[in-house]
Amino acid sequence: MDEVLSRDSAAVEQLPAEIFKPKPARAAPPSTLGVQGWVRQNMFSSIPNALVTVLGIWIVYAFFDTILTWAVGNAVWEAENRRQCLDLVGRSGACWPGVIAWIPNLIYGLYPKDQVWRINLAGVILLLWALPLWLPRVQSKVQIGLSLVLLFPLLASYLFLGGEKGVIWSALIALGLAGFLWTLLTAATETISGLSFGRYAVAAIGFGGDNDPARRNGQIAALLALYVVALIAVQAMSLSFVATRAWGGLFLTLVISGIGIAFSLPAGIVLALGRRSRMPLISMLSTTFIELFRSVPLITILFTFNTMLPLFLPVGVEVNQLLRAIVAVCLFSSAYMAEVIRGGLQAIPRGQYEAASAMGLGFWQSTGLVIMPQALKIMIPTIVGNFIGLFKDTTLVSIVGLFDLLSMSRAVGEDTRWLGLFLEPFFFITMIYFVVCFTMSQYSLNLEQRLSAGERR
Amino acid sequence: MALLDSPAPAGSGARLMAVLNNATVRSVVYQALTLACVVLLFWYLISNTIENMSQRGMSAGFDFLGVSAGFGIGFTLIPYREGDTYLRVFMVGIANTMLVAVVAIVLSTVLGLIVGLARLSNNWVIRNVARWYIEVLRNTPLLLQIIAWYFGVFTLLPRPRDSIGWVDSIFLNNRGLYLPAPVIADGFGTVLAAAVLGLAGAFAWARFARKERENSGRIRPVVLPVLALLVLPPLLATLLAGAPVSWDMPQLRGFNFVGGLNIPPSFCALIIALSIYTSCFIGENVRSGVQSVSRGQTEAARALGVPPGRTMRSIILPQALRVIIPPLISQYLNVTKNSSLAIAIGFPDLVSVWMNTSLNQSGRAIPIVAMTMGFYCLVSLAVSLAMNRYNRSILIRER
Repeated sequence: MDEVLSRDSAAVEQLPAEIFKPKPARAAPPSTLGVQGWVRQNMFSSIPNALVTVLGIWIVYAFFDTILTWAVGNAVWEAENRRQCLDLVGRSGACWPGVIAWIPNLIYGLYPKDQVWRINLAGVILLLWALPLWLPRVQSKVQIGLSLVLLFPLLASYLFLGGEKGVIWSALIALGLAGFLWTLLTAATETISGLSFGRYAVAAIGFGGDNDPARRNGQIAALLALYVVALIAVQAMSLSFVATRAWGGLFLTLVISGIGIAFSLPAGIVLALGRRSRMPLISMLSTTFIELFRSVPLITILFTFNTMLPLFLPVGVEVNQLLRAIVAVCLFSSAYMAEVIRGGLQAIPRGQYEAASAMGLGFWQSTGLVIMPQALKIMIPTIVGNFIGLFKDTTLVSIVGLFDLLSMSRAVGEDTRWLGLFLEPFFFITMIYFVVCFTMSQYSLNLEQRLSAGERR
Repeated sequence: MALLDSPAPAGSGARLMAVLNNATVRSVVYQALTLACVVLLFWYLISNTIENMSQRGMSAGFDFLGVSAGFGIGFTLIPYREGDTYLRVFMVGIANTMLVAVVAIVLSTVLGLIVGLARLSNNWVIRNVARWYIEVLRNTPLLLQIIAWYFGVFTLLPRPRDSIGWVDSIFLNNRGLYLPAPVIADGFGTVLAAAVLGLAGAFAWARFARKERENSGRIRPVVLPVLALLVLPPLLATLLAGAPVSWDMPQLRGFNFVGGLNIPPSFCALIIALSIYTSCFIGENVRSGVQSVSRGQTEAARALGVPPGRTMRSIILPQALRVIIPPLISQYLNVTKNSSLAIAIGFPDLVSVWMNTSLNQSGRAIPIVAMTMGFYCLVSLAVSLAMNRYNRSILIRER
């Protein structure tokens, strides 16, 4: 060992060149781990970045400071009228008593106070009807969803409007009620035994025998019995008439957008299929309708229907303003929905159509069973985006004289007690709109992720 | 096919079924039925309308266009006097709508670009500020925002006497925004000519620099020379010609301002709300466009040693623009349509002045509705034609 070492050192000594000296090691890079590392990387990675961070934090601080001081810190919560608020804090704080006093009007409009329970009841029914859609053991979700969209409006129309009900309307209301009862019973029986209500009833009573047609007859009998029960219940109900002029507030906003949403999806599907049809006349008519309604602003359509609908109908037929607005909103939103669905249809590869044809499916079967489910699935975010747009657009009905949430909030500042109180009600309803729209958009993102689970590896 | 396939004709019933199952026959039958329904519907509507109109003594002609309208309009871009014809009112409405649309489009594009890029920032704080700006503003109705700006901000501003002023030339009060108005004097033509020359020079330089880069790869400075060409010639001309533009300053006289340029509060509220609302959607377009360019492009540029700014300008943005521009144009169309919400705060745009005031004054529902719809249809038709041309021009050419 020593020998080797000495020989090496001798060799080194022979060379005149300088000895290799390593440079001092560079400092370790800043840590990217942990809270500190994350903060450094995402907020202070360079001097400009740090400046921007400080600016951003200042903006956030200034914004929340202003809002919170106004809405909470300096706010007045109890006062008789706006004068008192102004005497207490001036304009530096919000005057919430005005909004609090108006909350019933903001939600129900001028609906008679002793009849408001009807709106609440309809809301509860809606929630109960939709609830089974989220229950894991319930299988008939498609039927429940369809019944909700198609039959709930029938039941709600009577709850909201009331008054004299003729034979046809009674039959329709009973259909709505039967649908609701069927949903509840099916949700219950499917949770217990996995059988829908009709099958469960057949199995429980034991009639109908073993063969399929007989069992089917048994199921139809069970549903008919349900309908008869509903009919009797509807006959027993008697609600006082509330004119649509008294409808208003959040309630009216939800009614208009609800009808618009329920109408625009099926109408949009029909129009989209029409536009893609190979029959020139049908395609031309659909295209004209879609393009006409998409190229003009909603407000012009609302005005048009407001002035023209009475002209279009036979002499002497009165159409109330709510109906005019609803017709305009429905036609407008179905034109937009049609384009969304057409986009979905175009995204389906040709092979799907060809495969469906090869399986011997006709047009309606291949569309209904193969193409449309896929098209609707990929378009869910856009469809929900359209619903959100529709919900926001219902504010326009305030311009043609309906008392929706926006008009009601403006009415607060015109009340003699709360004269000039604009910002507070606007702030309040902004929160309502934001919460509803934001929830819808987040839910659609969530749904999209769950539905596309099969395409992720 | 169906006719050939059918087994030995069992009688007229089977033959009828075979005919009915023929695709061509079906198509003709369906279309005939649809046509019949549509014609019936229109016939019903039109006959009702004619009867209603004759009962109410209304007329559907366009002859009222030459009649004096007899009402004043608060804000007009083109000259208008009380007593001008209805046709003039229509023109005033179109001009005001276009003014709102153009100003809002410019502002919302600038804002949207900033928000979209902020949304892509590496900085967590900025990214989230931009995200919540977008989420909050696009999830509240535009009409609510317009009305809140108008009633919640602009009408609550101080009276002219206590207006908020900057350097004694710009004033903000509850009658609107007062700006100094330029007054054109002799020699303005020289300035204008210089500006046009400068603009042409800037275009020429940018074109030259691009050609040179494409031919030889040499990169010439573009931004500074172009800015200089745009600013310097008019400035020099102004100095040489001896102040051809003087400013008419707004001044407080009694209870109100006189002189200067007055921008009404309704216009300010409309523009601010429209620009902010639209900037959210444009911001999201910009973000999705930039994100649509694959990361490999950035990495390849890095590997070739292209600096980050140049990567963005010359590699990412040209590819992102393909994705950004079509939805951007449809946002511009939306701005034009949304400007009709001006009616809620009394700004005299086309819908407010024509479909509301003129319709109520003249009672000519049908021609007025047709003209308004016609204008909006024309705009959207023009835009979609332009868009189709653009889409064809940016189509990726493969062999």
